[in-house]
Amino acid sequence: MDSEEIRNQIKGFISNAANIDPSQIGDNASYKDDLGLDSLTMLEISVDLESEFDLIVPEEEFANIKTVQDSVDLVHKYLATI
Amino acid sequence: MKRVVITGIGAFTSIGTGCQDFWKALLSGQSGISPVESFDTSKYAVHVGGEIKAFSPASYIKTLEAQKIGRTSQLGIAAAKLALEDAQVDMAALDLTRAAISMGTTSGEPNQIEQFDDYFVADNLQAAGDEMLTLYPCHHIAAYMAAELQFMGRNTMIPAACAAGTYAISHAFDMLRLGQADLALAGGADSFSRITYSGFAQLKAIAPERCQPFDKNRKGMIPAEGAGVLVLEPLERALARNARIYAEIAGCGLSCDAFHMTGGHPEEAGSVKAMENALFESGVQREEISYISAHGTGTPTNDMHETRAVKKVFGNRSGQVPISSIKSMLGHTMGAASAIETAVCALAAYTDRIPPTINLDESDPECDLDYVPNEAREHKVFAAMNNAYAFGGVNASLIVKKFKDAC
Amino acid sequence: MSQRVVITGKGIISSLADQADTLHNALCAGQCGLGSIGLFETQHMGGEVPSFDARAYLGDGNLRPLDRIAQLAASAAHLALEDSNWTTEMRAEQDVGIVLGTVFSSVHTIGTFDQLAIRRGPRFVKPLDFANTVINAATGQTAIWHNLRGINSTLSTGASSGLQAIGYASDLIRSGRISMLLAGGAEELCFETLFGFERAKLLGKRVESAVPFDAGRTGLIVGEGAAFVMLEDAEKAQARGASIIGEIRGYGTAFDPHRGQDADKLGMAMGMAIRAALAHSKLNIEDIDCISASACGSPMGDRCEAEAIAAVFGNQTASLPITAIKSALGETLGASGALQSVALVEHMHHGVLPGICGFKALEDGLYLPMAKKENCTIPMQNGLVLSFGLDGNMCALVLSKA
Repeated sequence: MDSEEIRNQIKGFISNAANIDPSQIGDNASYKDDLGLDSLTMLEISVDLESEFDLIVPEEEFANIKTVQDSVDLVHKYLATI
Repeated sequence: MKRVVITGIGAFTSIGTGCQDFWKALLSGQSGISPVESFDTSKYAVHVGGEIKAFSPASYIKTLEAQKIGRTSQLGIAAAKLALEDAQVDMAALDLTRAAISMGTTSGEPNQIEQFDDYFVADNLQAAGDEMLTLYPCHHIAAYMAAELQFMGRNTMIPAACAAGTYAISHAFDMLRLGQADLALAGGADSFSRITYSGFAQLKAIAPERCQPFDKNRKGMIPAEGAGVLVLEPLERALARNARIYAEIAGCGLSCDAFHMTGGHPEEAGSVKAMENALFESGVQREEISYISAHGTGTPTNDMHETRAVKKVFGNRSGQVPISSIKSMLGHTMGAASAIETAVCALAAYTDRIPPTINLDESDPECDLDYVPNEAREHKVFAAMNNAYAFGGVNASLIVKKFKDAC
Repeated sequence: MSQRVVITGKGIISSLADQADTLHNALCAGQCGLGSIGLFETQHMGGEVPSFDARAYLGDGNLRPLDRIAQLAASAAHLALEDSNWTTEMRAEQDVGIVLGTVFSSVHTIGTFDQLAIRRGPRFVKPLDFANTVINAATGQTAIWHNLRGINSTLSTGASSGLQAIGYASDLIRSGRISMLLAGGAEELCFETLFGFERAKLLGKRVESAVPFDAGRTGLIVGEGAAFVMLEDAEKAQARGASIIGEIRGYGTAFDPHRGQDADKLGMAMGMAIRAALAHSKLNIEDIDCISASACGSPMGDRCEAEAIAAVFGNQTASLPITAIKSALGETLGASGALQSVALVEHMHHGVLPGICGFKALEDGLYLPMAKKENCTIPMQNGLVLSFGLDGNMCALVLSKA
């Protein structure tokens, strides 16, 4: 799966959880500062991510996820290990 | 409006039941946390809870068939019977049409929906029982309590999540002071729930071993179950029958943050308002609050925000008001918590002793009040306040005061 | 502080209408909001709110956190706030409260949340759904949406929840605890709720046989909806120039400890609730001009209610207009008493009490001569709303015309 596809999936999760049009979500948008998401919504997106890509991401890594690109990189990292 | 007093206390918890045993266990700093046994936690990252391991419903339930009602209802009945016994109410002399029940809960009878879900997922609903309607909705808890006791007065369930106990007590307080009942059983109950556990586990909010409210290294709350029921009566009736009076309900403050479902207001606006409203309604001066029973769940955020809220209300005096969290011992009994904690406030005012916050190993510079660390203490209590904060942004503060006839 | 509690606005979402006057007209025209259910697969009929889209009431904000019952509640709340002219600016300045009655609350969300944990494991449960697994979720979500920072309470007393919520809210004003709050109820139609009624064998065989007091009734049809009244302290309402559309004179409750297992005891509790409401309202039976009955098509329940009414009102039963709207809306549980209350305010305003939709003939041996299909045009000053849970909780409330 390439970055573009992963990014679109992630934007889909954000759209579902936060009612933001995917076209309004920058590729490097910050969850908190740009998109204004609260921690519960961010957690929902990370659960969607784990569920959709069938990953287990260690808890300590989630603290480092601040932007859409961070999520894309994370998925790449863990998809590569499957 | 009439004055309302607490004449009986019945708790059903993982560390003790009734009143005396429970109070003794609290003062000795006993912990009720243990490995979860009611469902398989192997797929969870955490495995502890505050389950009640020894409970024989048939010992308390005589009119109804104990096994035919839900666990939360069983706990509610058990606590109610203990409270009535403690209050030495003469049931034969009671006008049952004016005997009310007001109870709170967070999840009602979650085991019922959990069983339904097991069958549903297994595609085997035909094997599921017929009790969804007659056991699941939470009004059954107060209703089965009334059915067991044959009470015919107002019967209300207030499922205001973790502030439910206080809301239920507040409703009973209003009923009695408005003359709508002669006696009220008021409190809260919740039974251990896989659903609740799953949710808090997903939020990474459950501590792995101990609940450590206000501690620098606190890691979260611990879900638990329990029930707490108070007998409330108008003062004149309590005096007329020479009842022992634990304390008087002075007043309460109820508010809503209207900000976030699971997180508090960033400036503690709602929790401050609840405390201020309670002080205003009760007429108790803030200098007269001698003890606070905290919401103190043990999560990093709650304990810090609660500390800030207390400081905003009590100002320079906040360091002198002991504030302890019994959730350090029981875990979070959900809808029962604020009812049990109100009982604790009443007992504090009655005995001039306050329970500790156990597991407080290291101070947190952001939580720098007197949390009664690890050891119970003798302390003159004129008035005590209980705080409760719930999902939905619901806040409740209730003040009890030492009963003095001449007030 | 005045002891009088007035109604300054109302809002409803129902299977027949989302405006009180539209509902009134539909009921007077004998329309029925019951039919097949589109929300999920079932052979049963129901009172579904057709094509419900919360965006029509709540705008384009993020609705993901709100499940169906929360959307129904928040939408009805929006309408009530608008109707009572409690603007966004005013709510920013003052703490408006809310009390919501519900029976099943977010059971569908709770079930879905748990089923995911069973199917895939607790690692996959949805955090936003967890927030809605508490029974007061709809009340909390509505408060957040509309910035309601006053008392936030949820009541569960069985089918009487919505009416008892209004009574409870009126007491909060009388005790001086708050001056203005929304009070009502909400319930969503879902598989879990219908399963409960099916297994309890309480469902009517057809829509035509779910008619209150009718000789051919076989049971109820489950419905959904939400309704709120805005209640205020009378003096403060007058001071802010509010439009006063009614008054809560008083209410009464009673509990049947046999929980519906003994028809006599059930009827007795119903009668006690009515008498308690009259006493609290300081009114006599002669002061009551109409009744909105709780009857839902239950063979035993409706009979007990008719007998209780006759026992309380005696000879007056022969001429006391009575309506029962559950054959049109279904048994909407937590929403029912609130929907009845809003509808009754409207009926009394127009001076017309709608007939009972689908009514053909009174059950043999039942004494309730004014139960009929035809509307009744008559001046009405004081109306009695009945909301009886057939498993024990009874509530009666007196509304007066403004």
